[in-house]
Amino acid sequence: MRRYCLPFILLFILGVTTPSEARVYLDINAPTLVQIPIVMPKWKATDRTPTSVPEKIYEVVARNLTLSGFFKVIDYQQLPPALQKKEGIPEGVVLQEWMPSGGEILLVGDASLEPQTLTLQVRFHFFDLVEQKHLIGKQYEGPVQALRHMAHRISDEVVFQLTGEKGVHTTKLAYTLLQGEGKEIFIADFDGASLKQVTQNQSINLSPVWTPDGKKIAFTSYLKRNPDLYLIDLEGKNLQRFSYNPGLNVSPSWSPDGKQIALMMGMGGKSEIALIDTNGGNPKKLTNSHGNEASPSWSPDGKSIAFVSDRAGTPQIYIMANDGSNVRRLTFEGNYNTNPSWSPKGDRIAFCGRGGGRFEILTLAPDGTGLQKLTNNSGNNESPCWSPDGRYIAFSSTRTGSSKIFIMNANGFNQRPLTPSKGGESSPAWSRRFE
Amino acid sequence: MFRKSLTILILFLCLGLLLSGCPKKTVTMDEGALTKEETAAREAERARQEQELKAQEEAARKAEEEAARKAEAEKEFEKSLVAKKTPGIEGEVLESSLLKDIHFDFDKYDIRPQDAEILKGNATLLMKSSTAKIQIEGHCDERGTQEYNLALGERRANSARLYLLSLGIAADRISTISYGEERPLDPGHDEGAWAKNRGCHFVILSK
Repeated sequence: MRRYCLPFILLFILGVTTPSEARVYLDINAPTLVQIPIVMPKWKATDRTPTSVPEKIYEVVARNLTLSGFFKVIDYQQLPPALQKKEGIPEGVVLQEWMPSGGEILLVGDASLEPQTLTLQVRFHFFDLVEQKHLIGKQYEGPVQALRHMAHRISDEVVFQLTGEKGVHTTKLAYTLLQGEGKEIFIADFDGASLKQVTQNQSINLSPVWTPDGKKIAFTSYLKRNPDLYLIDLEGKNLQRFSYNPGLNVSPSWSPDGKQIALMMGMGGKSEIALIDTNGGNPKKLTNSHGNEASPSWSPDGKSIAFVSDRAGTPQIYIMANDGSNVRRLTFEGNYNTNPSWSPKGDRIAFCGRGGGRFEILTLAPDGTGLQKLTNNSGNNESPCWSPDGRYIAFSSTRTGSSKIFIMNANGFNQRPLTPSKGGESSPAWSRRFE
Repeated sequence: MFRKSLTILILFLCLGLLLSGCPKKTVTMDEGALTKEETAAREAERARQEQELKAQEEAARKAEEEAARKAEAEKEFEKSLVAKKTPGIEGEVLESSLLKDIHFDFDKYDIRPQDAEILKGNATLLMKSSTAKIQIEGHCDERGTQEYNLALGERRANSARLYLLSLGIAADRISTISYGEERPLDPGHDEGAWAKNRGCHFVILSK
């Protein structure tokens, strides 16, 4: 399943192709986001390739770009009749004729499937219709099974060209799903596709977390009548009991250098934040209060750990140095703030706070300023976690009834469920990019 | 001279009589008083001994009754135990309807007075069954976050454990496990259900 891409040489564009140092079309950190209208004519099947192939790629790319929250996709069906018929990559593009589409960016593509080797070749180009210029063209080639992956790579490239940072379309989410009396770990692609069950043990399986290399999931399970920490690979194989002190072994957070794991550990009858080695041994207690401590989350610089403590009477977010010193309280608003998650860029901490009887997702800066509420009076919202680029937050919400995983942009826009499931989902964890 | 001697003799005799009579009389008198006290003391002693005997008999009877009752209770307790297996969780536990759950206020883990009484009842029961290993399960309602609730459940189970230890249950007989909000007793989503789900449940670990 090795994927590779080759730059595509453009012959039909007059003038010089603009290199990708290009302008950033979108400031994704702006408080309000203007979505770029992007026109997507039909993609063409070349060389007797079944039309279903480019159709599928088109569908995945269009959905990705919509889900990204940065674009307003103008589908070929929405185009004026004269433009609706145009498909694939034209020999010569007269950008002027695309003006009536209402788009600012034009994205065209085609696909061909080599019938003997089942090798798929996908080409795409996109153009700036406002400045009337070609932006980039690329070709991807790989086995047909990698179709979705290629579509994700194309989407990442579009996002990179227009926002200055690659998308997260090749990432996955792990979460728990109620199954009878128990909970099992599932994984799905960023767009909710390729759903896969990882555990199948009927036990209570909780709080999945990706290992830094993205090859395994760490989670807590009651298999041996104690909440022990396990590792399992994405195929559901090679289950390994990892940390199993009597009492809690929950909520691991890998240090950014990958050398230590902070977790909740039952010690002396209450939950503490402890550090263990990556082989699960050598536990070292970090917290030292009479309260319950929970949900550690490393800062991306590795110097600090955010966590929950009820040492002052109610659960609140605190930050300590990675040796347990220098503890300071971060949240003061409300009487129930839990689930801290430090953003990959280090500038924000997302958490779950109760206000008005509901649990909401909020973020604030690590110095305690700039509190922002991202969900608003729709069900209970819990367990925020960041995408690896820090542009999105996944969380669980009961807004449609039973708890489901939702994804939103980091400013709270564009909230949507991950999958069309009936619910019973909780504890999302976002993987690194799989490129 | 003779008369004088006789008089002296008589005097001596009288004195002798006096001397000999008086102590005798005193002794007799003393003897009479002691006997009276002694009798009383003896009676008291007898009564005490009788009472002691009775008490001993009573105690023996009571102990016998107690033992019988204890055996009965133990039998009753043992009879009340129902094995419970949970899929995906190793081993099995025994549950008894005689071991009562205790409950907590929202986000709290301190034992309330009415629950202290329940714990005393549970302790009495557990004392009767001399060797059973107890596991205290800490539970939370669905509100709040899963991970914090796991911590809270751990603390609740430990509160109950410490209370049972204070009542004399051996430490090596008690273990704890937190289920957080994962195993609600009542599947409902209202205060009635939540109040039931914030608690500690007591099970016996099978040997």
